[in-house]
Formats: sequence, structure tokens, C-alpha cells
Amino acid sequence: MSAPKLNVADVAGLARLSLTPEETSKFTAQLSQILAHMETLGQIPTGDVPEVVPPAQPVLRKDVPCPSLPLDVVLSNAPAQNNDLILVPKIVE
Amino acid sequence: MSLAHETLASLRRRLSTKEIHSRDIVKDLLTEIGAREKTVHAFTHIDEKAAFAAAEKADPSLPLGGIPIALKDNLNALGDPCTCSSKILEGYRAPYDASAVARLRQAGALFLGRTNMDEFAMGSSTENSALGITRNPWDSTRIPGGSSGGSAAAVAGRLAIAALGSDTGGSIRQPAALCGCVGLKPTYGRISRYGLVAFASSLDQIGPLTRTVEDSAILLSALAGHDPRDNTTDLRKPETFLAKPTGSVKGLRVGLPKEYFLPGMNAETEAAIRSASQWFEKNGATLVEVSLPHTPAAIAVYYILATAEASANLARFDGVRYGRRAVDPKDLLDLYQRTRSEGFGPEVKRRIILGTFVLSQGYADAYYRKAQKVRGLLRQDFESAFTKCDLLLTPTSPEPAFPLGERTQDPLKMYLADVFTISTNLAGNGAISLPCGFTKSNLPIGLQLIGPRFGEEKMLQAAHAYEQAHDFWKRMPPL
Repeated sequence: MSAPKLNVADVAGLARLSLTPEETSKFTAQLSQILAHMETLGQIPTGDVPEVVPPAQPVLRKDVPCPSLPLDVVLSNAPAQNNDLILVPKIVE
Repeated sequence: MSLAHETLASLRRRLSTKEIHSRDIVKDLLTEIGAREKTVHAFTHIDEKAAFAAAEKADPSLPLGGIPIALKDNLNALGDPCTCSSKILEGYRAPYDASAVARLRQAGALFLGRTNMDEFAMGSSTENSALGITRNPWDSTRIPGGSSGGSAAAVAGRLAIAALGSDTGGSIRQPAALCGCVGLKPTYGRISRYGLVAFASSLDQIGPLTRTVEDSAILLSALAGHDPRDNTTDLRKPETFLAKPTGSVKGLRVGLPKEYFLPGMNAETEAAIRSASQWFEKNGATLVEVSLPHTPAAIAVYYILATAEASANLARFDGVRYGRRAVDPKDLLDLYQRTRSEGFGPEVKRRIILGTFVLSQGYADAYYRKAQKVRGLLRQDFESAFTKCDLLLTPTSPEPAFPLGERTQDPLKMYLADVFTISTNLAGNGAISLPCGFTKSNLPIGLQLIGPRFGEEKMLQAAHAYEQAHDFWKRMPPL
């Protein structure tokens, strides 16, 4: 496979990042070089190799309710709050 | 002698006999910090008052009673900042203790200093910190390694007795090697990551940076064990590592992976590693040549999987619940985009974009799934190597500390600094780096021993035997 054209501005939008024109052009050059390096994986035969399983077997705990952090502690880090709620810009008209 | 120059093991003995008090250690550390922190810049935050208050209450009968420990700035400790060296976590105060921090606290430790790092642990030089660079105590024109560069520089520079770091692709071992201290990345599942700000969850491990292997074993013993809050932690019973040092490597089969000794590698590094392997042979170990054939693919696999996981893990930094928020957003999308664009530095943005891309529709099969399969092959390489040997011996880093600024404009070259450490994260094995020599210009060189999964005891025994037969660990950096 040959390195695909990565549209940096589009992908940044998916990741909720807005880039300056300088960042976009710099990242485009750098990421195309990095992707070209990643292309080397295409040469490794992996026909029937399964995708990796987690390195540790997950240990599940009993599904019992436990106390969470107190509300005032959680809210203490919120950038804007009122009436025990975190304030955000309006999302519905 | 200043108590800041002593090992954790020695201070522990002297505290338990009441020969010294915890406040004396805090005082001596602060004197060293006052003298050299301006140059080294190992820390992002120091709370002297809290450290002295904790020292007064210290209980020397506990295993770590009264021992000050520095924490990498991505570990939550109740009430303290936890910036991940990023502007996006400005003003955040941890509302709880990470499980690793809680275990150290229960064992009697106190915390002095939060250490600088590459932003969100993304980097190999600590130059990606939004809070300023850290300098190598052996040569202030050079990088300390990364991402736990602050922890390594603090321990090597006698500004901390020991520190915790995190290792996703070498972030404990590589800075330990470049600063001349001991860095341990335990087996995946050994230590709970609850409260560690997640970078790549299938790779992240917490581990100690210390002056000696014995100190590393003491901290591992306190940190290891199952935690219901991290379901990847293993259920095996707690153990005391290196409880009875054998001081011997007799009968040990030491594997030398041929892919880790490449033509054109740094000559002084290669000579130091060859000489270390000869020491093992002279002392009764057998050297076995082994092959980890998929090693050349490790960097590509890692930077696909780690960035994919990071793009998901870092989605939580959106300016809503904590940390920085953009001023006067016009709507929710603007709040997200401006908060993240103003808050994240270039390397974090680059990796989020790469990770988003390799998971995106049309590309996930070619990149993400392909990398997961090659990761499986890498793991098989290790399993097969460990049928022929007990430990692997390799360089930790292909070269000693490089000059500040040398690679900041060339991310791919920076990524290649992790070539000898990344595979163990992908395979899940534990590994330790310890000093094994110095270059002619007096820069430390690190030796890496890799064990089979949950093989830390054998690894620590061998590392301890090697360390005690040499005096590299006793050397003091000039700064």
C-alpha cells in the first residue's frame, strides 16, 4: 500500500481541534513522513494471525453500588457552575 | 553527608531506629533543590509546607514511614495539582488519590515534588512540557530523556530519594538510562493505574525510578497487587521482592536478541552493553543468542496503537468538567475546539490527529487492525525467546542523552529513540534499566534486563547482583 493522502484539517475536525494554517501545513508534512514509516507494516504477512487479545485477563468485580465522590468535590474543578450543575453554552434553541 | 544523597533502603533503616527524623530528610532535599532546581527544573510543583506537615506525622514503624517520594505530574494525589505538564489542566486539583499514591501513603510515604514530563507523557526528551524543559544533571545542555524526565533528573540529581513515573513505550526506562538511575517498568497488570491520567491504556504501567535496584524492589513491593478499580491488575498475592538477595547470576540463561545489536549503533553504548554481558558470563551465566524477528516493526505498531488509544483517552479534555476552558465560546463546538486547540501542545495534537486517522473509516483495517495483528507476532517473539533464556539483556537506549533541541522538529527521529523499550510494552513484559557505564564525556549508559511476564523477582535478583559488583550507581552528576 502507498501512503494515503491524510487531510489533516478534516481529521483535526473529527478530533475537535482547530488548527492554524501553519500547524496544518507542518503536521501534513510530518505526518506523511510518519505514515510512510508505518506503511512498512504492510509487508509483514499476518494472514491468519488473530488481532491481539488484552495482555491481562480482565478481572471483573461484583456489581455493587459504591459511594462516588461528593458533589462539591466534583464541582470544585468545574470551570463554570451554578446551582450544583456544570454550566455549558446553550445547545438547543 | 546530606540525607538527600542516601538510598531509600538506608534512610528506611535509619528512620526505623530513630537515628534520623523524616523532617531531616525533607530539609536536606529542600537544600539540594534550592541549590540546583533552577538549573535542572525537575519539578512542576513543590509544596514544602505540606511535606513538613506530613513529616511531623510520619510513622517510622511503617515500611516507607517518613520517606519522601516525588510523583510524576500525571498521578492524582488528593488536593495537589496534576497538570500532565499541559496547559489544558491548569488550575486542576486532584479530588482523589491514585491507587498507587494511596498505597504509598498507607505504607507511610510522604510526597515532595511533582515532576516535569512530556505533555501527557508523549515524548522522549521532556521537551514537550508546556511548563518548561528539564535538563540532564550530567550535562545541562542535554535532554534527560522522557517522558518521565523530571522524575529521572530529580533522582539522579539528588533532588528526590525516589520517584514514580509511568511507562507507555519506555518513559521510565529511557530517562533512567540517560540520567544514570534505575527505572522499572513492571509487567502489565502488576500495578493499578487507577488515578494515572491515561495515555494508551493497553500499554501504560506505573513504576519506580530510584538510585538502586534494592530501592526499586522496595517500592514495587509496596505498589504491586490487585485493585478492583483497575480490572487489568493481576490477582496474585502480594510479595516482597528481593527479600533475600542472592548476589549471584550463576546458571542464569541470558538472551541477547540479535535485533538489538545493530551495525552503526552508538559505539560507546555497544561497548558498555557487551562488557555487561561478559560480566554475566564470567559470573556463571550462559549467554544465548536469540531473535525477536518483528522488532523492526515495533515503532510503527506502537505509534499506531498508542496514538489510537490516546485519541480516545484524551477526548475527555473538552473544557466542560475540569481544567482550562476557552473564554466566551459562541457555542458548544467552539468551546470544545478552542479549549483543545489552546490547551494542547503540538506533539499532543499531532498524536491525536494520527490516532483519529488510523481509527477512521476506510483506514482502520490497514492501520489499527494490522498493527494489532503484528503486536500479536511481537508477543509471540518474546514467548518463544523465553523458552531459550531466563532474561533478555539489551541496551535501554540506542545512544546516550542527546543535545536539547536536536530532534524537536523531527518527530520521527524522536520516536526512534524508543526502539529498544517499546516492544516490552507491546508484549506486556516487565523490564528494568540500570547504569552500566559512562561515555568518555561522562554521560550515563543504561543496561536493560527484560523478564518473562511476572518475572520481576528473577530480573531484580540479576540486576541487583550486577549493580552491587560495580560502582556506577554511586557516581554523582556534576550539577
